[in-house]
This record gives sequence, C-alpha cells and structure tokens, in this order.
Amino acid sequence: MSNRTHPPLRPASAGRAGGRSAQSPPPSAAAAPRRRARRGPRGERLAPYVLVAPAILIIVALRLWPLGLGVNFSFTGDGERNGAPVGFDNYADLFGDPLFRTALRNVGLLVLLLPIAVAIPGLLATFIYLRVPGHRFFRSVYFFPAVLSPVIVGAIFNLLLAFDGPLNALLAKVGLGPVDWLGDPGIAMFAVVGVHIWATFGMALVVFLAGFATLDGALLDAARVDGASLGQVIWHVIVPGLSRTIQFVFVTTMIGMLTSMFGLLYVMTSGGPEGSTYLPEYYIWIQQGQFNRPALASAASTVLFMIMLVVGLLQLSLLRRAVKES
Amino acid sequence: MAASAARPALIAVLATAGCGSASGPKDEDKSAAGGKLVVWDWKSGDATAASYVQKAKADFARKHPNVEVEFVAQPFDQYYTLLGAAIQSGKGPDVMLFNGGGQIRDRVDSLVALDEFVAPDRQRLAGWDAFGKGGRTYAAPVTLQGHPIYYNKALYKKAGLDPERPPATWTELLADCAAIVKAGARCFAQGNKEGIGIQFFMSGLGSGILTPREYDDWIAGKRDWQAPDVKRLFQLWKEVNDAGLNTDGANSTAMFNDAFAAFQAGKAAHMIGLMSDIGHWKDFNEFLEPANVGVMTAPVVTEGATPNLPYDGGIGYAVARWTKDPKVAADLVRSLTATDALASFYADAGAIASDTTIDVSTAGPAVATIVADLEAGKPALHVALSSQTIELMGRLSQQLLSGSVTVDEAVRQLAASDKPA
Repeated sequence: MSNRTHPPLRPASAGRAGGRSAQSPPPSAAAAPRRRARRGPRGERLAPYVLVAPAILIIVALRLWPLGLGVNFSFTGDGERNGAPVGFDNYADLFGDPLFRTALRNVGLLVLLLPIAVAIPGLLATFIYLRVPGHRFFRSVYFFPAVLSPVIVGAIFNLLLAFDGPLNALLAKVGLGPVDWLGDPGIAMFAVVGVHIWATFGMALVVFLAGFATLDGALLDAARVDGASLGQVIWHVIVPGLSRTIQFVFVTTMIGMLTSMFGLLYVMTSGGPEGSTYLPEYYIWIQQGQFNRPALASAASTVLFMIMLVVGLLQLSLLRRAVKES
Repeated sequence: MAASAARPALIAVLATAGCGSASGPKDEDKSAAGGKLVVWDWKSGDATAASYVQKAKADFARKHPNVEVEFVAQPFDQYYTLLGAAIQSGKGPDVMLFNGGGQIRDRVDSLVALDEFVAPDRQRLAGWDAFGKGGRTYAAPVTLQGHPIYYNKALYKKAGLDPERPPATWTELLADCAAIVKAGARCFAQGNKEGIGIQFFMSGLGSGILTPREYDDWIAGKRDWQAPDVKRLFQLWKEVNDAGLNTDGANSTAMFNDAFAAFQAGKAAHMIGLMSDIGHWKDFNEFLEPANVGVMTAPVVTEGATPNLPYDGGIGYAVARWTKDPKVAADLVRSLTATDALASFYADAGAIASDTTIDVSTAGPAVATIVADLEAGKPALHVALSSQTIELMGRLSQQLLSGSVTVDEAVRQLAASDKPA
C-alpha cells in the first residue's frame, strides 16, 4: 500500500534530509556527511524490517511457534509411548474413531444449517423494518437471549426439553406423543443447534437492522407504488440492497457456530446421546481431559485448524469479492 | 526499546516451556520447595469436608510442624483436564485426590508407589484395590464407593408387598415390579444421559448374573465379553427398559441428579445408587425417612451366582512423582486417612469411609446393612474397565436402549476396546 502511494523509500528520505537542511539551520558541515555514512543506504534498507519486527515476532512467538509445537506434538505418542515419535498413528486413530467422524459430520451439518441460522434473523429484522405492529417491543425482546451465557441457556433448555418437561407436556395436551429432544440421537443435534440459534440470533438481528439503516427508502416506496407484493419487495429490493450485510452475517454466524457451541453441548448433551452431538472442540476436550491423550487431542486440534483455515479462506475470498462489487 | 529487549527472553521462556510439554514431567521439578505441600482435590471447598480437612491438617502438623499445607479445591468437572495439563507441564500438586479405577490407573506414570509408606494402614483401611496397578498401590483410600440396590419400603407396602422381604431372584423381582407398576410407580429410577446408568446396572446387578468364577476372572482382567452371562447382562439392561420398568426417557435423564431425584420423589421403587458422596443412603434418608430406605442384594439371575455388595475404594490421595520428599507427602496422605479425620468425613459428608473401625450404628438401617455387607463384598465390575471402555460402554448402552445396536454387536465392540494394557 505505502509503496504504491509514496515514492520509493530512499529518494523520499534523501529529499527529507535536503528539505531539513533548507528549512532549519544546517548542522555542522562535518556532521552531515558522517551521518550519511553511518545510517547510509544499508540502515535505511533495514529500517522497514526493524519496524515490522515487533509485530512479526509477536505473531511468530505467540501464534506460529506454539502452533508448530502443537502440530509437532500430534506426531508423538500418548501414555507409554509418551514423547516418542509415532508418525501418523494419531491421525490414523483419529479417523478410525467413529466419534471423531461423527464430530466432522456434525460440522458439515452446521454448514448445511447455516442458511436457516441466517434467514431467521434476516426475516425477523425485515418485519421490524417494515414496522409490523409491536415492532419496538420485538426489537428488544429478540435481542434479550443474546446477553445470556450458554451455560444458563443450556440449563433453561435442559429443563424445558426434559422428557417429562413442559414442552412434552404441551405436546401431550395437543395429542402428540412425547419427543425425547435430548435423548434421541436423530433429534438431539437439531435441538442443540436450534437452541444455539435462539440464543444468538439477536446479534445478527442487530447487524441486519444496521444494514437496513443504509437501505434507500425511496426504492421501497417506488416498489410499493409499482404494486410489488411483500415477497417481491423482499426478494427484489431488500435482499440485493443488503447483500453485503447478508454476507457479513453468514461469516460471523459460521464462526459462531464452529467455535462457541462448546458451552451448550457441555451443558445440554455432553456429546450424547450415543455420541451424536460431538463436535471437534468437544472431542479434543474429552481426549485431553478425560482420556489423558494429549497427543491425540493435538492431532484433532490440527485437523480442526485445517478445517477452520479452509473455512476462513473461503470467507476471506467471499468478503473480498463483496468489497470489489461495491 | 525495553520491549524489544524483553522479547528474546520471552521466546526463550516459550521455547523451554514447549520442550517440557512434549516430553512429560521432569523429576527435577521441585514444587514442594520451601517446605510447602500443595494438595489438589475437589472436596476441600465443601462445607461438609471442612472439619475433615482441619483434623487431617492438625494431624499432619503434629508430625511435620515446619511443612505448610495448601489445599486447592478444583471444580470436579474440570479436575482431570486441569490435572492432565499440570502433569504434562510437570508442575502439578504434590498430593492429589483421585477417583479409584481407570482415572488413577491411566496416570500411575506420574505417581509414587506408596506401598512402603502406608503399610501400617493396610489392615485398618479397606478399598485398596481400586488404587493399585501391577501389584503396587498408588493412593490411600478415603471413602468407599459402591453400588447398593436401594428400595423404597413405602412403595413396597403400597403395592401390597412385604417391605422386609425384597426379591431374591430375578423372577421374584419381575413379579414385584409388576405389582409396583400397577400401584402407579416404576420399578427402577434410571438415568443414562451421561452413560453412567449402565455402569450402575452392571455393577449393582452383576454379582447376580455372573458366576463367582466369571466375576473373579473379570476383576482379574480375564474378561470374556462373549460369555453368555455377560451378554445376559446387556440383554437385561435392554429388556428392563423395553418392558417399561425404568423411569421414562432414560437416555435424556441425567443420573446426577435427576434419576436420584426420581427415586427420592417416590416415582420408582428401586435405585442402584452409591454408597458415598451423593445419591446414597444419607440423601435418601432425608427424603424418604430412614425407616423407608432398604438395601437389598442383587437378585439371582444365573444359578450358582452369589450376590454380594460391589464396592471399591472411592476416592483416595496419591503422591506425585515430582514432589521433593515423597516420605513427607506420604505422611500427609496418612494424615488424610487417619481414623479421626475419616470419622468426621463420614459424619459430615455422608460417605462410607474406608476406615472399617468407625461406628455407624446410629445412621439408620440402610447404612447398617451396607457396612455389614462390606465384609463379603467384591470390587465392582465396571471399575475394572479402562476409562476408554467405560466411555464406549456408555455410548453403546444408549444405543441398546434406542435399539440402534444389538447386544452381540455391543459386546463385540467392547471386547475390541478392552484390550489388555
């Protein structure tokens, strides 16, 4: 960036030195050449490296070096083979473990559920923007769950979704059989994701509302005058107008789903029933803490890192494209 | 400029810490330096353990007045995670509390064998086996943990059964359960959300299902998962649930503490519970009245089985390998298992202490039955399993209940997981 906007470094500082000698009283005639000799071209060439060194060092020392250690650690053994190099054994164990495969499948499931997690706050924000009756009330109520910690949310829904809990009592009243929300492996993951969406959509809603603030009201009026229905207004005016906001919410929701479900899972299902609600994070925690297999946990962390890297790069390219479009 | 001078130092620190984490604890770490012993547990923060800790500290102070003792109570949920990290860094506590069984056996590499230090306590305390591996002992038992079958005498009366004659065979149990279900309660309070229900079921009923020979072989590590009696155990686990004898939604009900709560509320007549800490005679006495809490032995399923009380050392204190003076740390362990201290723990926390000389005659019939049964008791079946196999069994037990795995497939997977260490 600086290279493009400014002239190259050396002529620039040479010019500055010249400027200074013109404005201020010149330093003693002998001092100037001596200084140029000491901090000559080589010092100036090194200057940018010195300036970025602190940032690089911090990243290397606190990010890359530990990352390298972790990856290196994942190629060593646990228990009796502690510290011994074992090659790809941990990775073979990992992909041979049905629990880890379930955890990866659940990551895929989260990606598939992402559009729903984005559509819900998007639609609700649209209704608020279009001033449905009581929109002021809804605006504050929708945000409320976002201030609760996952542990509290999990505890509340543990009670609500219990087999003999209020939700099943309600279902029984309308003549539907009880559903084992957290005990049926086919349902539990959806129940937990549903609760996660409920607990976090308030934040996305606020982002959407902020996006609406930039929407041109005249376009909406024009569409209405032209006799567009609600669906047509949403599809042809609001969605294109909010494309950058929608992309942003997609990215942040994805990150939220992949990185902050641990608390909910821990409280609501502990990875069960039948291991159906495992996520990589939870798997890492179990292997490290419960089974005393830190090296295997490192291997799982490395795989999770790879997944996050791919997701992150995809998101970056998405965002870059969005910026280009604008 | 000061910051940039500090940075190489920071990198050096990180580098050395990194090396340590890859190679495990180092012997030369001296966390007991300065005459101080650090104890990790999840008990000392409880009000009910206050007098126990105080008495143990006083006892230790008499022997080693110059050594300071610091108790660090960790949250139990995180305990083994934190301990694992401490072990990896070689900077753990000197003395630490362990659950008996897999949790300590997986970590004996980091512990001091205590045999020579605790020899005088051998006879007085029970439950050593749960803290041993390869013929050596790594912790001294504080409490005993086991799985008595509790029953609600009031529900027996309500169902027209004799509360003083609990069923002795499986057939009798099924007949009694039919009467209890008719009277509007369930037969068993069950909670298997954590996969713990199967552990209680296996150990609580196992001595009525396996023959004494099979039982002893199992404990000794010669486990035949394909044996008909072992399969029978898992079949019964499923049949009991399928027949509607369990409380509803076993897979989504937590053993801790929703299943216990169901028993305490009189929703079910039987509960395979615990002896110490929680879900035990003291809790049940409070809710159901001591006179209504009965303890029965496992009903006989297989001819020739001899039902007995399954129990092991529950929790016990171990000494870390990196402590400065193992003798001093072992003395602290001995103080923590002294009769006086353990008597307080029994009385305040409601634990069956490992010390068999403590008088329990005033605590009601249930605890009297349990203590009387200790003599003939045997180690619990599930405690003999590794934590990996236990975890797998928990998951498979949920699949058995939901019907997504067969008994044959379940025992096949368990046999594969239960490889000799």
